[in-house]
Amino acid sequence: MKKAKLFMDTIVQIEAHSGNEMSDDELDSCINKAFDAFRLVERACSRFSPDSELMQACRRIGEATAISPYLFEPLKFALEMAEWTDGSFDPAIGQLLESKGFNRHYLTGERMNSNVDGSATYRDIELSEANRTLCLHKPLILDLGATAKGFATDLAARELSGCAGFVVNAGGDLYAGGTNEQGDKWTIGIREPNIANGILESLSISDAAVCTSGSYERRSEGDEGEHHIVRPATGKSPNEWVSCTVIAPYAMMADAFSTAAFAIGGEEGIALIADAGLQGLILTSNSRIKRIGGI
Amino acid sequence: MAKMNKKWVVLCSTAIAAVYVAGYWTTEIDKTNVLINTDYSSPSVSSSTLEGDSPQVSDSQSQVSTKYNNGTYIGMGSNRRGTIQVTVAIKNDRITDVEISDFAMHYSIDDVIGMPEEVLKIQSANVDNVSGATYSTRAFSDAIQDALNQALRA
Repeated sequence: MKKAKLFMDTIVQIEAHSGNEMSDDELDSCINKAFDAFRLVERACSRFSPDSELMQACRRIGEATAISPYLFEPLKFALEMAEWTDGSFDPAIGQLLESKGFNRHYLTGERMNSNVDGSATYRDIELSEANRTLCLHKPLILDLGATAKGFATDLAARELSGCAGFVVNAGGDLYAGGTNEQGDKWTIGIREPNIANGILESLSISDAAVCTSGSYERRSEGDEGEHHIVRPATGKSPNEWVSCTVIAPYAMMADAFSTAAFAIGGEEGIALIADAGLQGLILTSNSRIKRIGGI
Repeated sequence: MAKMNKKWVVLCSTAIAAVYVAGYWTTEIDKTNVLINTDYSSPSVSSSTLEGDSPQVSDSQSQVSTKYNNGTYIGMGSNRRGTIQVTVAIKNDRITDVEISDFAMHYSIDDVIGMPEEVLKIQSANVDNVSGATYSTRAFSDAIQDALNQALRA
Protein backbone atom coordinates (compact mmCIF):
# COMPACT_ATOMS: atom_id res chain seq x y z
CA MET A 1 0.00 0.00 0.00
CA LYS A 2 1.36 3.39 -1.03
CA LYS A 3 0.10 6.88 -0.16
CA ALA A 4 1.45 10.39 -0.53
CA LYS A 5 0.53 13.64 1.20
CA LEU A 6 1.95 17.12 1.43
CA PHE A 7 3.54 18.15 4.70
CA MET A 8 6.37 20.55 5.56
CA ASP A 9 6.69 21.74 1.97
CA THR A 10 7.56 18.31 0.71
CA ILE A 11 5.89 15.16 -0.53
CA VAL A 12 5.70 12.56 2.19
CA GLN A 13 5.40 9.14 0.65
CA ILE A 14 4.63 6.11 2.78
CA GLU A 15 4.77 2.57 1.51
CA ALA A 16 3.97 -0.33 3.80
CA HIS A 17 3.07 -3.98 3.61
CA SER A 18 1.83 -6.18 6.38
CA GLY A 19 3.18 -9.56 5.36
CA ASN A 20 -0.39 -10.93 5.70
CA GLU A 21 -0.44 -10.12 9.42
CA MET A 22 -2.92 -7.26 9.06
CA SER A 23 -6.04 -6.53 7.08
CA ASP A 24 -5.94 -3.76 4.49
CA ASP A 25 -8.01 -1.59 6.83
CA GLU A 26 -5.55 -2.05 9.68
CA LEU A 27 -2.64 -1.28 7.40
CA ASP A 28 -4.41 1.82 6.09
CA SER A 29 -5.02 2.96 9.66
CA CYS A 30 -1.31 2.54 10.52
CA ILE A 31 -0.34 4.61 7.49
CA ASN A 32 -2.81 7.34 8.45
CA LYS A 33 -1.38 7.47 11.97
CA ALA A 34 2.08 7.75 10.47
CA PHE A 35 0.92 10.76 8.44
CA ASP A 36 -0.50 12.24 11.65
CA ALA A 37 3.06 12.38 12.99
CA PHE A 38 3.94 14.86 10.24
CA ARG A 39 0.72 16.81 10.86
CA LEU A 40 1.45 17.16 14.59
CA VAL A 41 5.13 18.01 14.27
CA GLU A 42 4.46 20.48 11.48
CA ARG A 43 1.77 22.21 13.50
CA ALA A 44 4.18 22.56 16.43
CA CYS A 45 7.38 23.42 14.57
CA SER A 46 6.43 25.40 11.46
CA ARG A 47 8.27 28.68 11.02
CA PHE A 48 5.78 29.58 8.29
CA SER A 49 2.53 29.70 10.31
CA PRO A 50 1.97 32.58 12.74
CA ASP A 51 -0.16 30.30 14.92
CA SER A 52 2.30 27.40 15.21
CA GLU A 53 3.56 26.61 18.68
CA LEU A 54 7.05 27.63 17.54
CA MET A 55 6.00 31.07 16.27
CA GLN A 56 3.85 31.70 19.34
CA ALA A 57 6.86 30.88 21.51
CA CYS A 58 9.00 33.27 19.45
CA ARG A 59 6.71 36.14 20.44
CA ARG A 60 7.37 35.60 24.16
CA ILE A 61 10.75 36.92 25.18
CA GLY A 62 12.22 36.46 28.66
CA GLU A 63 9.49 34.25 30.04
CA ALA A 64 9.51 30.48 30.40
CA THR A 65 6.70 28.84 28.47
CA ALA A 66 5.61 25.22 28.64
CA ILE A 67 5.83 23.57 25.22
CA SER A 68 4.68 20.22 23.85
CA PRO A 69 7.13 17.40 23.13
CA TYR A 70 6.51 17.96 19.39
CA LEU A 71 8.44 21.20 19.74
CA PHE A 72 10.56 20.47 22.82
CA GLU A 73 12.24 17.31 21.52
CA PRO A 74 13.42 18.46 18.06
CA LEU A 75 14.51 21.76 19.62
CA LYS A 76 16.45 19.95 22.34
CA PHE A 77 18.22 17.83 19.74
CA ALA A 78 19.04 20.90 17.65
CA LEU A 79 20.49 22.64 20.71
CA GLU A 80 22.65 19.62 21.53
CA MET A 81 23.99 19.75 17.98
CA ALA A 82 24.57 23.49 18.26
CA GLU A 83 26.64 22.96 21.42
CA TRP A 84 28.49 20.06 19.84
CA THR A 85 29.42 22.08 16.75
CA ASP A 86 30.04 25.29 18.69
CA GLY A 87 27.34 27.08 16.74
CA SER A 88 28.21 25.97 13.21
CA PHE A 89 24.75 24.48 13.39
CA ASP A 90 22.28 26.88 14.99
CA PRO A 91 18.49 26.66 15.38
CA ALA A 92 18.35 30.43 15.94
CA ILE A 93 18.86 31.22 12.24
CA GLY A 94 15.20 31.56 11.27
CA GLN A 95 15.44 35.29 10.62
CA LEU A 96 18.48 34.80 8.38
CA LEU A 97 16.58 32.22 6.32
CA GLU A 98 13.54 34.51 6.13
CA SER A 99 15.74 37.29 4.79
CA LYS A 100 17.01 34.98 2.06
CA GLY A 101 13.47 34.39 0.85
CA PHE A 102 12.83 31.11 2.68
CA ASN A 103 9.72 32.53 4.28
CA ARG A 104 6.84 31.41 2.05
CA HIS A 105 4.15 29.05 3.31
CA TYR A 106 3.80 26.30 0.72
CA LEU A 107 0.02 25.99 1.05
CA THR A 108 -1.10 29.59 1.43
CA GLY A 109 1.68 31.52 -0.29
CA GLU A 110 1.80 33.79 2.73
CA ARG A 111 5.23 35.17 3.59
CA MET A 112 6.61 35.67 7.06
CA ASN A 113 8.66 38.79 7.73
CA SER A 114 9.79 38.92 11.32
CA ASN A 115 11.11 42.04 12.88
CA VAL A 116 14.06 40.79 14.94
CA ASP A 117 17.62 42.06 14.74
CA GLY A 118 19.25 38.73 14.00
CA SER A 119 22.08 38.97 16.54
CA ALA A 120 20.73 36.13 18.70
CA THR A 121 22.28 32.67 18.72
CA TYR A 122 21.44 29.28 20.21
CA ARG A 123 22.96 30.53 23.49
CA ASP A 124 19.91 32.76 23.89
CA ILE A 125 17.62 29.73 23.89
CA GLU A 126 17.06 28.02 27.23
CA LEU A 127 15.22 24.75 27.69
CA SER A 128 14.26 23.43 31.10
CA GLU A 129 14.15 19.66 31.11
CA ALA A 130 12.45 19.54 34.51
CA ASN A 131 9.59 21.87 33.61
CA ARG A 132 9.53 21.20 29.84
CA THR A 133 9.66 24.91 29.21
CA LEU A 134 11.34 27.17 26.67
CA CYS A 135 12.70 30.62 27.46
CA LEU A 136 14.11 32.94 24.80
CA HIS A 137 16.47 35.55 26.18
CA LYS A 138 16.50 37.65 23.00
CA PRO A 139 14.04 38.09 20.14
CA LEU A 140 14.82 35.42 17.55
CA ILE A 141 13.13 33.12 15.05
CA LEU A 142 13.66 29.44 15.66
CA ASP A 143 14.32 27.21 12.69
CA LEU A 144 13.98 23.46 13.12
CA GLY A 145 14.47 22.66 9.44
CA ALA A 146 17.14 20.09 10.28
CA THR A 147 15.44 18.15 13.06
CA ALA A 148 11.64 18.46 12.87
CA LYS A 149 11.19 16.46 9.67
CA GLY A 150 13.53 13.77 10.96
CA PHE A 151 11.61 13.63 14.23
CA ALA A 152 8.30 13.30 12.37
CA THR A 153 9.84 10.53 10.25
CA ASP A 154 10.92 8.67 13.40
CA LEU A 155 7.46 9.00 14.95
CA ALA A 156 5.89 7.78 11.69
CA ALA A 157 8.27 4.81 11.68
CA ARG A 158 7.17 3.93 15.19
CA GLU A 159 3.52 3.95 14.08
CA LEU A 160 4.43 1.56 11.26
CA SER A 161 6.60 -0.72 13.36
CA GLY A 162 3.96 -3.45 13.35
CA CYS A 163 4.23 -3.81 9.58
CA ALA A 164 6.53 -6.38 8.01
CA GLY A 165 8.09 -3.67 5.91
CA PHE A 166 7.73 0.02 5.27
CA VAL A 167 9.47 3.08 3.88
CA VAL A 168 8.70 6.62 4.99
CA ASN A 169 10.18 9.00 2.43
CA ALA A 170 9.86 12.69 3.23
CA GLY A 171 12.00 14.21 0.52
CA GLY A 172 15.46 14.29 2.02
CA ASP A 173 14.53 12.19 5.03
CA LEU A 174 13.89 8.50 4.72
CA TYR A 175 13.42 5.60 7.09
CA ALA A 176 13.22 2.01 5.86
CA GLY A 177 11.89 -0.60 8.29
CA GLY A 178 11.84 -4.36 7.91
CA THR A 179 12.04 -5.78 4.42
CA ASN A 180 10.34 -5.30 1.07
CA GLU A 181 7.64 -7.67 -0.19
CA GLN A 182 10.27 -10.04 -1.55
CA GLY A 183 11.75 -10.33 1.94
CA ASP A 184 14.91 -8.46 0.99
CA LYS A 185 16.37 -5.35 2.55
CA TRP A 186 15.14 -2.16 0.92
CA THR A 187 17.33 -0.76 -1.84
CA ILE A 188 17.69 2.97 -1.41
CA GLY A 189 19.30 5.09 -4.09
CA ILE A 190 21.16 8.28 -3.31
CA ARG A 191 20.54 10.87 -5.93
CA GLU A 192 23.35 12.25 -8.11
CA PRO A 193 21.94 15.58 -9.25
CA ASN A 194 24.57 16.32 -11.89
CA ILE A 195 24.22 13.26 -14.06
CA ALA A 196 21.36 11.88 -16.10
CA ASN A 197 20.20 8.55 -14.68
CA GLY A 198 21.90 9.79 -11.59
CA ILE A 199 22.27 7.45 -8.68
CA LEU A 200 25.44 7.97 -6.67
CA GLU A 201 25.11 4.80 -4.75
CA SER A 202 22.60 2.10 -4.03
CA LEU A 203 22.25 1.10 -0.40
CA SER A 204 20.72 -1.98 1.19
CA ILE A 205 18.87 -0.81 4.26
CA SER A 206 16.74 -2.30 7.01
CA ASP A 207 15.65 -0.50 10.18
CA ALA A 208 17.76 2.54 9.44
CA ALA A 209 17.42 6.13 8.30
CA VAL A 210 19.04 7.79 5.30
CA CYS A 211 19.09 11.54 5.02
CA THR A 212 20.55 13.66 2.26
CA SER A 213 21.19 17.36 2.67
CA GLY A 214 21.81 19.04 -0.64
CA SER A 215 22.18 22.45 -2.14
CA TYR A 216 20.46 21.68 -5.44
CA GLU A 217 16.72 21.67 -4.73
CA ARG A 218 16.09 24.72 -2.59
CA ARG A 219 17.81 27.72 -4.03
CA SER A 220 17.40 31.25 -2.82
CA GLU A 221 15.22 33.29 -5.17
CA GLY A 222 17.21 36.46 -4.67
CA ASP A 223 20.82 35.54 -4.04
CA GLU A 224 23.00 33.71 -6.53
CA GLY A 225 24.75 30.70 -5.00
CA GLU A 226 22.60 30.78 -1.89
CA HIS A 227 20.43 27.90 -0.73
CA HIS A 228 18.64 26.80 2.41
CA ILE A 229 21.67 25.58 4.34
CA VAL A 230 23.49 28.53 5.86
CA ARG A 231 26.71 28.86 7.85
CA PRO A 232 25.72 31.03 10.82
CA ALA A 233 29.15 32.62 11.22
CA THR A 234 29.19 34.06 7.69
CA GLY A 235 25.49 34.19 6.89
CA LYS A 236 26.37 32.52 3.57
CA SER A 237 25.62 29.15 2.04
CA PRO A 238 28.56 26.76 1.79
CA ASN A 239 29.06 25.43 -1.73
CA GLU A 240 32.03 23.09 -1.51
CA TRP A 241 29.70 20.12 -1.29
CA VAL A 242 26.68 19.33 -3.46
CA SER A 243 25.16 16.77 -1.14
CA CYS A 244 25.85 15.01 2.11
CA THR A 245 24.12 11.75 2.98
CA VAL A 246 24.16 10.21 6.45
CA ILE A 247 22.92 6.78 7.49
CA ALA A 248 21.88 6.53 11.13
CA PRO A 249 19.60 4.53 13.42
CA TYR A 250 17.18 7.48 13.63
CA ALA A 251 16.04 9.98 11.00
CA MET A 252 16.42 12.94 13.37
CA MET A 253 20.04 11.94 13.88
CA ALA A 254 20.70 11.44 10.16
CA ASP A 255 19.02 14.76 9.37
CA ALA A 256 20.88 16.84 11.96
CA PHE A 257 24.26 15.27 11.21
CA SER A 258 23.93 15.64 7.43
CA THR A 259 22.86 19.28 7.75
CA ALA A 260 25.51 20.16 10.35
CA ALA A 261 28.26 18.43 8.37
CA PHE A 262 27.15 20.25 5.22
CA ALA A 263 27.26 23.59 7.03
CA ILE A 264 30.74 22.90 8.43
CA GLY A 265 32.19 21.26 5.32
CA GLY A 266 35.74 20.09 4.70
CA GLU A 267 37.65 17.64 6.87
CA GLU A 268 35.89 18.97 9.96
CA GLY A 269 32.48 18.20 8.47
CA ILE A 270 33.61 14.69 7.60
CA ALA A 271 35.01 14.22 11.10
CA LEU A 272 31.65 15.19 12.62
CA ILE A 273 30.05 12.17 10.93
CA ALA A 274 32.99 9.82 11.50
CA ASP A 275 33.34 10.69 15.20
CA ALA A 276 29.73 9.73 15.82
CA GLY A 277 30.42 6.33 14.26
CA LEU A 278 27.99 6.99 11.41
CA GLN A 279 28.22 6.18 7.71
CA GLY A 280 28.14 8.94 5.16
CA LEU A 281 28.58 9.75 1.50
CA ILE A 282 29.55 13.19 0.28
CA LEU A 283 29.47 14.57 -3.24
CA THR A 284 31.79 17.57 -3.58
CA SER A 285 31.28 20.39 -6.04
CA ASN A 286 34.25 19.13 -8.08
CA SER A 287 32.44 15.79 -8.41
CA ARG A 288 34.48 13.78 -5.97
CA ILE A 289 32.84 11.24 -3.71
CA LYS A 290 33.97 10.97 -0.12
CA ARG A 291 33.02 7.88 1.85
CA ILE A 292 32.75 7.72 5.61
CA GLY A 293 32.46 4.73 7.93
CA GLY A 294 33.07 1.98 5.39
CA ILE A 295 30.09 2.65 3.17
CA MET B 1 30.30 2.34 16.91
CA ALA B 2 32.02 5.26 18.55
CA LYS B 3 31.13 6.22 22.07
CA MET B 4 29.46 9.49 21.05
CA ASN B 5 26.93 7.62 18.98
CA LYS B 6 25.23 6.40 22.12
CA LYS B 7 24.40 9.86 23.41
CA TRP B 8 22.63 10.80 20.15
CA VAL B 9 20.79 7.50 19.97
CA VAL B 10 19.51 7.98 23.51
CA LEU B 11 18.40 11.51 22.67
CA CYS B 12 16.39 10.19 19.72
CA SER B 13 14.78 7.30 21.54
CA THR B 14 13.82 9.42 24.55
CA ALA B 15 12.43 12.07 22.18
CA ILE B 16 10.05 9.53 20.65
CA ALA B 17 9.10 8.16 24.05
CA ALA B 18 8.35 11.66 25.37
CA VAL B 19 5.47 12.03 22.91
CA TYR B 20 3.83 8.83 24.07
CA VAL B 21 4.53 9.19 27.78
CA ALA B 22 2.77 12.54 27.84
CA GLY B 23 -0.25 11.10 26.07
CA TYR B 24 -0.04 13.78 23.41
CA TRP B 25 -0.58 11.41 20.57
CA THR B 26 -4.17 10.57 21.41
CA THR B 27 -5.29 13.90 22.83
CA GLU B 28 -4.10 16.33 20.19
CA ILE B 29 -4.68 14.43 17.02
CA ASP B 30 -7.65 16.24 15.51
CA LYS B 31 -6.57 19.85 15.77
CA THR B 32 -6.07 21.46 12.42
CA ASN B 33 -2.93 23.11 11.26
CA VAL B 34 -2.88 25.56 8.43
CA LEU B 35 -4.82 28.78 8.46
CA ILE B 36 -5.83 29.78 4.98
CA ASN B 37 -4.61 33.29 4.39
CA THR B 38 -7.55 35.52 3.65
CA ASP B 39 -5.69 37.63 1.13
CA TYR B 40 -3.97 34.77 -0.58
CA SER B 41 -2.30 35.67 -3.79
CA SER B 42 0.16 33.54 -5.64
CA PRO B 43 1.80 34.91 -8.78
CA SER B 44 1.43 31.60 -10.55
CA VAL B 45 -2.29 31.34 -9.98
CA SER B 46 -5.13 33.23 -11.59
CA SER B 47 -6.96 34.32 -8.52
CA SER B 48 -9.87 36.28 -9.94
CA THR B 49 -12.38 34.29 -7.94
CA LEU B 50 -10.45 34.93 -4.75
CA GLU B 51 -10.26 38.64 -5.28
CA GLY B 52 -13.96 38.86 -6.05
CA ASP B 53 -16.44 40.01 -3.48
CA SER B 54 -17.47 36.63 -2.17
CA PRO B 55 -20.11 37.07 0.50
CA GLN B 56 -18.99 36.30 4.01
CA VAL B 57 -21.28 33.80 5.62
CA SER B 58 -21.55 33.60 9.35
CA ASP B 59 -20.70 30.30 10.94
CA SER B 60 -23.26 29.72 13.63
CA GLN B 61 -20.91 27.67 15.79
CA SER B 62 -17.85 29.82 15.91
CA GLN B 63 -19.54 33.19 15.32
CA VAL B 64 -16.93 34.19 12.77
CA SER B 65 -17.43 34.72 9.09
CA THR B 66 -15.87 32.00 7.00
CA LYS B 67 -14.56 32.14 3.51
CA TYR B 68 -14.65 28.47 2.59
CA ASN B 69 -17.16 25.68 2.91
CA ASN B 70 -16.00 22.76 4.98
CA GLY B 71 -15.41 19.62 2.97
CA THR B 72 -13.08 17.77 0.68
CA TYR B 73 -12.26 19.15 -2.74
CA ILE B 74 -10.33 17.76 -5.66
CA GLY B 75 -7.99 20.19 -7.38
CA MET B 76 -6.17 19.80 -10.66
CA GLY B 77 -2.96 21.41 -11.78
CA SER B 78 -0.48 20.62 -14.48
CA ASN B 79 3.19 20.87 -15.20
CA ARG B 80 5.27 19.73 -18.12
CA ARG B 81 5.10 16.14 -16.97
CA GLY B 82 1.35 15.97 -16.86
CA THR B 83 -1.57 16.58 -14.61
CA ILE B 84 -1.50 16.73 -10.85
CA GLN B 85 -4.51 15.92 -8.74
CA VAL B 86 -4.78 16.69 -5.06
CA THR B 87 -7.54 16.12 -2.54
CA VAL B 88 -7.73 19.04 -0.14
CA ALA B 89 -9.67 18.82 3.13
CA ILE B 90 -10.92 22.11 4.58
CA LYS B 91 -12.36 22.70 8.01
CA ASN B 92 -13.13 26.10 9.52
CA ASP B 93 -11.08 27.90 6.88
CA ARG B 94 -8.09 25.71 7.51
CA ILE B 95 -6.42 23.26 5.20
CA THR B 96 -6.32 20.11 7.26
CA ASP B 97 -4.98 17.63 4.72
CA VAL B 98 -3.58 17.51 1.21
CA GLU B 99 -3.41 14.06 -0.30
CA ILE B 100 -1.83 13.51 -3.68
CA SER B 101 -4.62 11.50 -5.23
CA ASP B 102 -3.53 11.38 -8.81
CA PHE B 103 -1.21 8.43 -8.74
CA ALA B 104 -3.99 5.90 -8.46
CA MET B 105 -5.14 6.98 -11.92
CA HIS B 106 -3.20 7.85 -15.02
CA TYR B 107 0.10 8.89 -13.59
CA SER B 108 2.37 7.22 -11.15
CA ILE B 109 3.08 9.11 -7.95
CA ASP B 110 6.65 9.43 -9.07
CA ASP B 111 5.59 11.45 -12.10
CA VAL B 112 4.33 14.32 -10.02
CA ILE B 113 6.91 14.82 -7.36
CA GLY B 114 9.20 17.04 -9.34
CA MET B 115 12.09 14.67 -9.70
CA PRO B 116 14.01 14.36 -12.95
CA GLU B 117 12.48 11.68 -15.10
CA GLU B 118 15.73 9.79 -15.43
CA VAL B 119 15.77 9.23 -11.70
CA LEU B 120 12.23 7.94 -11.83
CA LYS B 121 13.22 5.28 -14.31
CA ILE B 122 16.04 4.15 -12.08
CA GLN B 123 13.81 4.21 -9.08
CA SER B 124 11.31 1.89 -10.67
CA ALA B 125 13.96 -0.37 -12.12
CA ASN B 126 16.66 -0.86 -9.53
CA VAL B 127 15.84 0.75 -6.23
CA ASP B 128 12.83 0.98 -3.96
CA ASN B 129 13.29 4.60 -3.02
CA VAL B 130 15.57 7.55 -3.57
CA SER B 131 17.08 9.89 -1.01
CA GLY B 132 17.88 13.36 -2.28
CA ALA B 133 17.66 16.96 -1.26
CA THR B 134 14.20 18.03 -0.18
CA TYR B 135 11.94 18.62 -3.15
CA SER B 136 9.83 21.72 -3.23
CA THR B 137 6.09 21.45 -3.60
CA ARG B 138 5.75 24.49 -5.83
CA ALA B 139 4.28 22.37 -8.60
CA PHE B 140 1.26 21.71 -6.41
CA SER B 141 0.24 25.33 -5.88
CA ASP B 142 -2.10 25.41 -8.87
CA ALA B 143 -3.86 22.22 -7.88
CA ILE B 144 -4.36 23.40 -4.30
CA GLN B 145 -5.64 26.76 -5.51
CA ASP B 146 -8.07 25.01 -7.82
CA ALA B 147 -9.47 23.07 -4.88
CA LEU B 148 -9.71 26.23 -2.76
CA ASN B 149 -11.63 27.99 -5.52
CA GLN B 150 -14.21 25.23 -5.46
CA ALA B 151 -14.49 25.52 -1.70
CA LEU B 152 -15.16 29.28 -1.78
CA ARG B 153 -18.53 30.23 -0.44
CA ALA B 154 -20.52 31.41 -3.43
